[in-house]
Amino acid sequence: MQILAQLIASGIAVGMIYGVIAFGYQLTFATSKTLNFGQGEALMLGSLVGLTVVSFTGYWIMLPIVLAFGLVQGAVVERLGVRQAIRTKSEAGWIMATIALGIIFKNLAENIWGRDALKFPSPLPEAPLSFMGVNVLPMEVVIVFGALAMMLLVEVFNRRSIYGKAVVATANDRDAAGLMGINTSLVITFSYSLSSMTAAFAGVLVAPVTLTGAAMGGALGLKAFAVAIIGGLSSGMGVVVGGLILGITETLTGYYISTGYKDVPGLVLLLLVLSFKPSGLFGSATIKKV
Amino acid sequence: MLKVENLVAGYGKVQVLHDVSLHVPQGTLVTLIGSNGAGKTTTLRAVSGMIATQSGRITLNGAEITGLAPHAITRGGLAHSPEGRRVFPTLPVADNLLLGAFTRVTGSRPKGDVARDLERMYALFPRLAERRAQLAGTLSGGEQQMLAMARALMLNPLVLLLDEPSMGLAPRLVEEVFAIIARLKSERVTMLLVEQFAAAALDVADFGYVLENGRVSASGPAARLKDDPAVRAAYLGAAH
Ligand SMILES: Nc1ncnc2c1ncn2[C@@H]1O[C@H](COP(=O)(O)OP(=O)(O)OP(=O)(O)O)[C@@H](O)[C@H]1O
Ligand SMILES: [Mg+2]
Repeated sequence: MQILAQLIASGIAVGMIYGVIAFGYQLTFATSKTLNFGQGEALMLGSLVGLTVVSFTGYWIMLPIVLAFGLVQGAVVERLGVRQAIRTKSEAGWIMATIALGIIFKNLAENIWGRDALKFPSPLPEAPLSFMGVNVLPMEVVIVFGALAMMLLVEVFNRRSIYGKAVVATANDRDAAGLMGINTSLVITFSYSLSSMTAAFAGVLVAPVTLTGAAMGGALGLKAFAVAIIGGLSSGMGVVVGGLILGITETLTGYYISTGYKDVPGLVLLLLVLSFKPSGLFGSATIKKV
Repeated sequence: MLKVENLVAGYGKVQVLHDVSLHVPQGTLVTLIGSNGAGKTTTLRAVSGMIATQSGRITLNGAEITGLAPHAITRGGLAHSPEGRRVFPTLPVADNLLLGAFTRVTGSRPKGDVARDLERMYALFPRLAERRAQLAGTLSGGEQQMLAMARALMLNPLVLLLDEPSMGLAPRLVEEVFAIIARLKSERVTMLLVEQFAAAALDVADFGYVLENGRVSASGPAARLKDDPAVRAAYLGAAH
């Protein structure tokens, strides 16, 4: 029982990271029906830029700098990789372009920061706290609340501010949004910015617990993509639940079966969802059949 | 106020409008009638920038708007209530209306009193007032049509394009919509109205154009068009 509770607690932190990255996939999908397949690399870049900045500023001042970096990086991805494909209504152009940009970012990172995994200084004590016998790292608590806060902030922005409403309107009906005087191309650029910003944020949240490095993005990006499919590309709550399901099954499998199989249940779940409920467990939009 | 000169436009390689010219003077209600597929919606779409123009010239209040993006044209003061309503389904009625005033709230059009205009819309369309918190996607077709019109009016536009505001409505609601159009006309809102109900449109309008296969086949003061035997035979006999 004790062990189970411990495993679930660790799974929750990992799951929230998956959830917040998957939330980033949703942001661009909502406005443009496209995804950044380099989302994992956006996370990795955020984390490594954070690593460089943190030695000058400390952790908490580093955060807004990394968030700003994420905004710019997302805009670059949209301008270089996605805009032209949307303009020409290309079905697959953005897929290739965002994957290619992801590879370029990874190479760039390998040249700047090297190929090795690097330790990221933790802003909080690394001794675990104990809640009724379950050990939790302080940073894991920050991950859970940080991820929730990020999603909540975006939600509040969308519901309360006129610019957020313009984003929702663009997601509802791009042509009609244009008729309102909303610059919908700019909205799509913005949603890419926001998406990379959440990924960069996830990168500096998770790095103190795991390690960072040029290779950290690939697996996280892919698993978060699975979470976005499991939870549904249109449901904010879906990615949280999807992330938790994946995070917890992973740690459970890793312990009770073998760490070698820890990725299997999530991927099996992904396949099941794709065959029985392609819009995701909570979603209503399906990925367009190409 | 709105001038369309020798407009040629279409979809991809398909040319739909061949040489359309029309003029909507300030403070008047001009109607554009024609059978299904004549190119009425396409004309409005070209004017508001939703589709590209191949040639021709469109000016709004003296400024050329040909080829501008829809948002830029809206910022110039043109409102378009599009065919098929196109309300924002996941947003409440109140937010749909507010987005109609997006350019005013964000400063690219004169701000005026947005809150007062919202109340004016609720007075003009009482059904919307009762449903301000309801999601637009859950409104009935008729209510969505009213919302689309009210949302366009929230721009305080120089010119309002209305594409078949009576489409799919029960007869009583059609009358209500025409009464509202007449009221807007009396307030000197400049409008270009596309309608299926040609007789009713010509009754309320100052001036009319008849579109046939992407060309203007007749035009004139609405009262005169109504008595034109060719127009009567083609559009007024069958429409009712
Ligand atoms: N999105 C589109 N792509 C290709 N062709 C289109 C498109 N929309 C309309 N058309 C074609 O353009 C022509 C004019 O259509 P349009 O919608 O302008 O007619 P309309 O006069 O508004 O008709 P209705 O009274 O039925 O609304 C038609 O032949 C139609 O098939
Ligand atoms: Mg039409």
